[in-house]
Amino acid sequence: MQDLASYLLKRLGWMLLTLWAVFTLSFVLMRSVPGNPFDGERAVAPAIRRQLEARYNMDGTPLEQYRQALGNLVFHGDLGWSMKLEDYSVAQVIAEGFPISASLAIFALVFAVILGVTAGVISAVRRGSVADVGMMSAAVLGIAIPNFVLASLAILLFVFLIPIFPAAGWGTFRQILLPAICLGLPVAAYIARLTRTGMLEVLGRDYVRTAAAKGLSKRTIVLRHALPGALLPVVSYLGPATASVLTGSLVLEKIFALPGMGSHFVNSALQRDFTLSMGMVLTYTVLLFTMNTIVDISYAIIDPRVKMQ
Amino acid sequence: MPPEIRRAFLFCGAALVVGAVVWASIFDALPPADFSLQSGTDAKTLDPARATGNIEGRLLDALFEGLLRTLPDGPVDPETGVQPQTPQPAMAESYEVSEDGRTYTFHLRRDARWSNGDPVTSHDFRWSWLRLLHPESASEYAFHLHALPYAEEYNLAKVETGDRVEVELWTRPGESAAEQGNVQPFPRGDLVYGVLKQILKPEEPKFPEGLAEEAQERLRGEWIEKWVYEVETRLENADGSIDWETPGELRRFTQSYATARRDDGVERVHHVLVAFDRLGALETPDDHTFVVNLENPVPYFPHVVAFYSLYPVHRGCVEDHGSPQWTQPGAIVSNGPYVLQLRRLRDRLRLVKNENYWNAEVTGFEVVDFLSVESETTAMNMYETDQIQWVTAPPTALLEELRSREDFIRAPQLSVYFYRLNTTRPPLDDVRVRRAIAMAIDRTEIVEEVTKGGQLPSFSAVPPGLAGYKKATGLTYDVEEARRLLSEAGFPNGRGMPKITILYNTSEGHRAIAEVIQQQLRNNLNISVGLQNMEWGTYLDKVFQIDYQMARAGWIADYPDPNTFLDMWVTDGPQNSTGWSNAEYDDLIRRAGLEGDPAKRMELLRQAEEIWIEEMPVIPVYSYTSLNMVKPEVEGFAPSAQDKHPLHLMRYRQPSEED
Repeated sequence: MQDLASYLLKRLGWMLLTLWAVFTLSFVLMRSVPGNPFDGERAVAPAIRRQLEARYNMDGTPLEQYRQALGNLVFHGDLGWSMKLEDYSVAQVIAEGFPISASLAIFALVFAVILGVTAGVISAVRRGSVADVGMMSAAVLGIAIPNFVLASLAILLFVFLIPIFPAAGWGTFRQILLPAICLGLPVAAYIARLTRTGMLEVLGRDYVRTAAAKGLSKRTIVLRHALPGALLPVVSYLGPATASVLTGSLVLEKIFALPGMGSHFVNSALQRDFTLSMGMVLTYTVLLFTMNTIVDISYAIIDPRVKMQ
Repeated sequence: MPPEIRRAFLFCGAALVVGAVVWASIFDALPPADFSLQSGTDAKTLDPARATGNIEGRLLDALFEGLLRTLPDGPVDPETGVQPQTPQPAMAESYEVSEDGRTYTFHLRRDARWSNGDPVTSHDFRWSWLRLLHPESASEYAFHLHALPYAEEYNLAKVETGDRVEVELWTRPGESAAEQGNVQPFPRGDLVYGVLKQILKPEEPKFPEGLAEEAQERLRGEWIEKWVYEVETRLENADGSIDWETPGELRRFTQSYATARRDDGVERVHHVLVAFDRLGALETPDDHTFVVNLENPVPYFPHVVAFYSLYPVHRGCVEDHGSPQWTQPGAIVSNGPYVLQLRRLRDRLRLVKNENYWNAEVTGFEVVDFLSVESETTAMNMYETDQIQWVTAPPTALLEELRSREDFIRAPQLSVYFYRLNTTRPPLDDVRVRRAIAMAIDRTEIVEEVTKGGQLPSFSAVPPGLAGYKKATGLTYDVEEARRLLSEAGFPNGRGMPKITILYNTSEGHRAIAEVIQQQLRNNLNISVGLQNMEWGTYLDKVFQIDYQMARAGWIADYPDPNTFLDMWVTDGPQNSTGWSNAEYDDLIRRAGLEGDPAKRMELLRQAEEIWIEEMPVIPVYSYTSLNMVKPEVEGFAPSAQDKHPLHLMRYRQPSEED
């Protein structure tokens, strides 16, 4: 347990350091691109512009601004007001968008893991069969087809040809299924391939042969003895998969009109909403760090050989 | 790690996943709305003083109401298919204009109420307009009120010695002396009135050579902050007016904390501004009479009054919650046909009928959802599957199929799509080259082959469809004349003509148009044209700094008057951005602003437009059409020149009696 605690502490330290680096880098980058949050199609008079800058703490020198923004964040946990969604603070925007992105990601990942592992196991066990070839070809397609194409096809099929799902929007269970499937399919495809490879490797191991020689049923061998070992690469893929699901949701959010965080991520940068885009970048940093840490820990749990350091 | 702990972890993990799935499947489902529409991108704000843009305008029209409201007036014009709209009595049940056109007296209706039941009074308007003009509101539309005496000085925080001023002391709620102020649209500390005797300015800082413009502006701003204002105070009379004649004590004020701390005789204040509020621009003789005294006659003032930036806000609501928190559902108090019930970013704004609205019996729909659907295709999908009933931006790619449908509603819009030309750099500093380019662009091809939405080719600054204005004739497509002008300018058959670059903000539509123009200029004038696309922020930066050669832009009228399309091109006007300057033009626009006779005023504006066409600092391309799709069972939706469709007048058709 001790090593777990010290491991977590160490990771936390690294995360804070990373956050600081990300903060600084984003701050510099945002202020060095041309354009300004207060530019609009109508030009703003200097006196009025100064008022706006004062409201968003942008009236000092860049160094003063940096110190102030960092101070507010560290000492008050305050990311400030969004510059383009004026009625919202950055924290509010994140608080509204995050649960939706999270729901979507949970459905997509659970769907991807169930489908991917099942398909992977079946094609490994029935290697060379029609099912194997069929599923693996489907997996290659799943990886290759970008999810907005998938989404368009899915809408055509399940909204217009066979009307079982609503076209877009958020608020009911039926509205989340189609986007979650479109988001999860490419991940499922990848997981299927990983599981198959892992499974084939494990099935050739000595201990599996021993188990077979003991007379255990094929089912027991595959599910109890081979699968945990075969899942290691899948588990380590889940970290990046979460990342891709969270960031990849942006296109689907647009197509299905979902109120997730992904669109803020891009729009805030494009619209020079300095405060919001800083908030988004930091949120994603924390998310990725957390996911990777969880993956590392679960790795150690599944495989006794892995030590946490 | 012992196996038991590992197993426990696995169980915990499994339980966590199940828990997460259960959590993710819980939705607090909303009851369906009566009517849903595509609202587009999230509204920037619901504060009338801060809002800009069509999306915000549509929302504010539903939530608030001004003294007047733009409403349909008369039958649909059979020729254009457009229903005329005029400003009609709303919060004011009637109004009078004085003979010289400078004084508007509005009589507020006695049954006008806010959504919380409070009466809407003339003081609400006075306070809201003051808030709109206050520099801290930083409103982009404050200029709408610049026709009021001292409004511009107040808005831009300009003061001079001898001015009657108001001084806002450092006493806003929740601020301490040393700290940063409570900066937000219109909180107010205590006010002191007086006459500005002199401004003590510290030495103006010298800017080192080559210092960036932004840094210079900042240093200048800091310097202005250090000014010390010497004010001879004046006392307020019992009736609230100021006794400007009796001199009071001499006090000194500054905005700078450092200066105030160094010198005990100087008080730190928020602003020293012209006492606009006490100089007779706005009068409130009683709760239901609101008098507006303009400096010069503004014939289109009723249209301005009906514009959303001049809508009133509830003083108690704004002061209790502060900005921007007062705009949140639950807090916001409004006076229009609808009130805000729910607001979820990227999802929807739910509006419900305001029972306290004076004309609530007219309101058709009880619950309306403004859905934040950005993708045009998605909106169309939702429309086709009956999730929404009104598409405000049908996909351009489908226009050819859609245009024959009867639920496709199209109307010419008071707007221009144009290219700014950089008149400060060769070769476009030569008027002949500018005219040659303007004449070598075939607008008909662009409208018919590219935009395809029924847009009208445009050759002049002012689009058609403005009552009482006879617009100037523009430069039509004439390749021969264009070639002649070009060779006269020293580039026969395009020889020696440097390459021209067209700048546009990233968008399929803008690119397609720029490509056609590129082709036409090459074929007609043998000029080589490059294209450069930039995302919005960078594009705006380039345009404002006049760092481009040709840049596309668009302008949609805020009020139906030629002035809105012409006064943007005066010398150094904030929207000019072409470097173009013409003294005669500036003078005509200025004289038109002072002219009381509408016919003469229109004539002055037309002369100005002729100069503009002669000089061609900007090439008009076409005027937009507004495109909407509305379900056939909805009535009360008519095409209009400003794409305004009062929501409370829409309803579902009652089944006819035979059914």
